[in-house]
Amino acid sequence: MFKLDSILGYAPDYLAGVLLTIELGLVSTGLGVVLGLVLALARRSRFRVLSWPTYAYIEFFRTTPPLVQIVWLYYGLPLLFGFDLGAFGAAAVALGLNIAAFLGEIFRAGIAGVDRTQWQAARVLGLGYVDTLRFVILPQAIRNVLPPIGTTIIYLIKDTALASAIGAPELLRVGQLVSNETFRPAEALTIVAIAYFLLTYPVALGFTALERRLSVARA
Amino acid sequence: MAEPLIVVSDLVKRYGPDTVLDRVSVTVATGQVMVVIGPSGSGKSTLLRCLARLEPIQGGRIYIGGALAAIGSEEPRGESDGTGTADLRHDVGMVFQSYNLFPHLSVLDNITLAPRRVLGMPWEEANALALDLLKRVGLEDKRDVYPARLSGGQQQRAAIARALAMRPRIMLFDEVTSALDPELVGEVLKTMRALAEQGMTMLVVTHEMGFARDVADEVIFMDRGAIVEHSSPDRIFDKPAEPRTRAFLERLLEREGGKRRSS
Repeated sequence: MFKLDSILGYAPDYLAGVLLTIELGLVSTGLGVVLGLVLALARRSRFRVLSWPTYAYIEFFRTTPPLVQIVWLYYGLPLLFGFDLGAFGAAAVALGLNIAAFLGEIFRAGIAGVDRTQWQAARVLGLGYVDTLRFVILPQAIRNVLPPIGTTIIYLIKDTALASAIGAPELLRVGQLVSNETFRPAEALTIVAIAYFLLTYPVALGFTALERRLSVARA
Repeated sequence: MAEPLIVVSDLVKRYGPDTVLDRVSVTVATGQVMVVIGPSGSGKSTLLRCLARLEPIQGGRIYIGGALAAIGSEEPRGESDGTGTADLRHDVGMVFQSYNLFPHLSVLDNITLAPRRVLGMPWEEANALALDLLKRVGLEDKRDVYPARLSGGQQQRAAIARALAMRPRIMLFDEVTSALDPELVGEVLKTMRALAEQGMTMLVVTHEMGFARDVADEVIFMDRGAIVEHSSPDRIFDKPAEPRTRAFLERLLEREGGKRRSS
């Protein structure tokens, strides 16, 4: 028998979990986008001192599990450097560093997809590197790679659930606690699944709408 | 002759082991229209790209308005050579064969971007300037249109307006009609003609011999990275001194004749 009424009393706890999940998602996406852009530009650099460490960084974070990265930051940083980020901080930073590796590769592909002649046109107009990136290259690059950016961010939102492993009271952690108290894991986690859907689906819709708007602007 | 605006001396440009420009020297006076002709691979487009500082050069010097604009990487540097070149960049406007408008910006924004960002021009002033330029190239009704909605000829005229917005002292045209459908070539040439009449200094790489004959003050013929002949348009088209110039013009005429027969 699937019974939700025993779960309904936990609505405030779920809400608190959702809010923390949103915070985690926003902080790590923000960190990931900024760092990802830096990685993409550094990786394109003709200077080995920049491109090589970037390559190593990206491969390291792409090839190790995000759960382990979170655990490293949470337990490893205090051990090695005596520096404690706390559960939320460790999860947000680890997820941000992780998604930056993926976004960096996506941004790099987007930038590489913009015709070389656009750089030249900007250059003969006297535009500098930063202005060229900001007003000419990135708007076109981002538009070209919006679908994989959207997918990556949706993955990230779901990956915030990994923060439950170090006890951050986000959505999945709340579901686990409710499940422990009510002995109703199916119901407790169904609510969790619906909540994740309600968080991620608008993001998916948003990216579809953005894609359509930007392609209309071009035609 | 008016004062020289562009002085190129012993310019050497190599791509790896290939020498694309081999000690090219040329002077363009203020207000002069110089047309560069020659077979593909002769280095004429590369010469323009070096002048626009899109290509590093290995040898020689380029002076624009009396100031050193570029120096070969293999040149010994004298004390008088100075260093700063960035502030000179917008002295030179360039229009490309493939227009290279920014596809995500309206025609107006294509034109105002550089004046706003590079010259620090306020929005209203930049917009007024852009509208004025669009009028000059006959596109005043296209200000809010995106490039993809324009014909090739319109895109090229918008690209000319964009380059003019930086108030360059020299305009470089790199085969700007070569990608256009034949019926659209005329409108772009007309715009360039008007610009020449207004006294703009122009360096034009083109295969449009009619334009070269009518508009050019001087014509240079390039082949294999060197200037083979440099003369007045009448002389070079009617009595070319060099056999290579003659052969090139004959091939071109044959092709033109063939085109006419087939159409």
